[in-house]
Amino acid sequence: MFRRKKKQDEIIEQIILKKYNSYYRMAMSFVHNEADAADIVQEGAYNAIKNSDSLKHIEFAETWVYRIMMNEIYKRLNTKKVKSIDDGDFIDLQVEDKYENIDLMIALDSMPDNDKAVIQLKYFEDLKLDEIAYILGENLSTVKSRLYRGLKKLRCKMDDLNMKGGERHVK
Amino acid sequence: MSNNDDKNLKLLKEQYEKPVMSDKAVFEMKQRMEQGKEEKRSMSKKKLFKGLAIAAAAVLTILILPNISSEVAQAMGNIPVLGGFFKVITIRDYQYEDERNVADVVLPEIKTKEGTDNSVTDTGKKTADEINAKIREIANKWVEEFKSNLEGEGYQNITINSEVINSTEDYFTLKLICFWSGGSGYEENHFYTINLNTGEKVELADLFKEGNDYKRIISENIKKQMREQMAADEGILYWIDNEEYPEWNFKEISDDTSFYINENGEVVICFNEGDVAPASMGTVEFTIPMDVVANILK
Repeated sequence: MFRRKKKQDEIIEQIILKKYNSYYRMAMSFVHNEADAADIVQEGAYNAIKNSDSLKHIEFAETWVYRIMMNEIYKRLNTKKVKSIDDGDFIDLQVEDKYENIDLMIALDSMPDNDKAVIQLKYFEDLKLDEIAYILGENLSTVKSRLYRGLKKLRCKMDDLNMKGGERHVK
Repeated sequence: MSNNDDKNLKLLKEQYEKPVMSDKAVFEMKQRMEQGKEEKRSMSKKKLFKGLAIAAAAVLTILILPNISSEVAQAMGNIPVLGGFFKVITIRDYQYEDERNVADVVLPEIKTKEGTDNSVTDTGKKTADEINAKIREIANKWVEEFKSNLEGEGYQNITINSEVINSTEDYFTLKLICFWSGGSGYEENHFYTINLNTGEKVELADLFKEGNDYKRIISENIKKQMREQMAADEGILYWIDNEEYPEWNFKEISDDTSFYINENGEVVICFNEGDVAPASMGTVEFTIPMDVVANILK
């Protein structure tokens, strides 16, 4: 009914205003470029507001907005990938101080897009697996296997790091 | 996970959380959101005009209807037809207007002729009462919500009206049109069809021979029409073959899907806003060609 629709508009607006940095971080982790990431969040916010009537269940509002943002990110990646072949654009990982983490960051960054998104949504944004499944438009078992595969890859790197750390101690 | 893993993930998370949107980017985002709202509002204005046009058409229909009915009755001579048994009158129900709120609720009511008594007219009377009650219930809900919004700061406008689709000798459909505009527009239609030969309310399943998968047959035809329309006109969008949001895609009609029968005897399937297309498409209808359902119709 119409009051629900009106309230829905307000709820979506509030969610965006509360969570925009979270979308921005997610975008940054994929595009590594401030201007592109800001653009993604702005387009996502515009699309979410404009299409807020399409949201059928208000209880999914947060994940619904996330999903729109994720789609914006992938849209941008697809155009970028085609472009970057031409201008030899290299991804610049902006790691300043945590030098020991660079291997881990590269490991995370070199995962398939959806594996990376699952890890980040689960461990950095504290979302539940079924929410992640909705955001990525995949079924729960796919998300689970992405999570285990991603963690395994990270753990290999972590073990390396821990071993190196141990060696250093011995020395 | 081990403690070391936790520690490493924590470090990764710290790194991940570093980027923060600049004030300028946030400002631009808010502007973009306002733009989104504005575009939504202008879409709903367009729909308001559409709603008013429909309401005007409905008034015309109702004014003309009594004449048509009597002509039909005369042409039929002394053949007892139920077509002359039902009559739709309209009642100005709830009206309200101030600077920010406008309500124009005009309700249809199905009347039956008094004095005749046989089982068919009894059924007809029962059907009419049932439909009238349903319409009353819907209208009450809308008016209640309208009243509860009066205290708010926004603008709102509700229009409830109706249209008689007096299409064939066998069927009679009443369409209730509920329209709201405010921050965005919203239209909702309800259809009630009566079988003039039995006096019973008609459900979609009643039209088809038993044991037929009419839902699938009709749905497949609707999907075909959706694809054709989308291919022909870029401005048309239905939720079909959408890979980004597969769960929005239209799958199959249900027993509750609205319909009516047009003057050619074809089944027309009606969807409310947001059911099978973005809300900006409004309410949509699909006429199912006769040859698609000819074999399964009763």
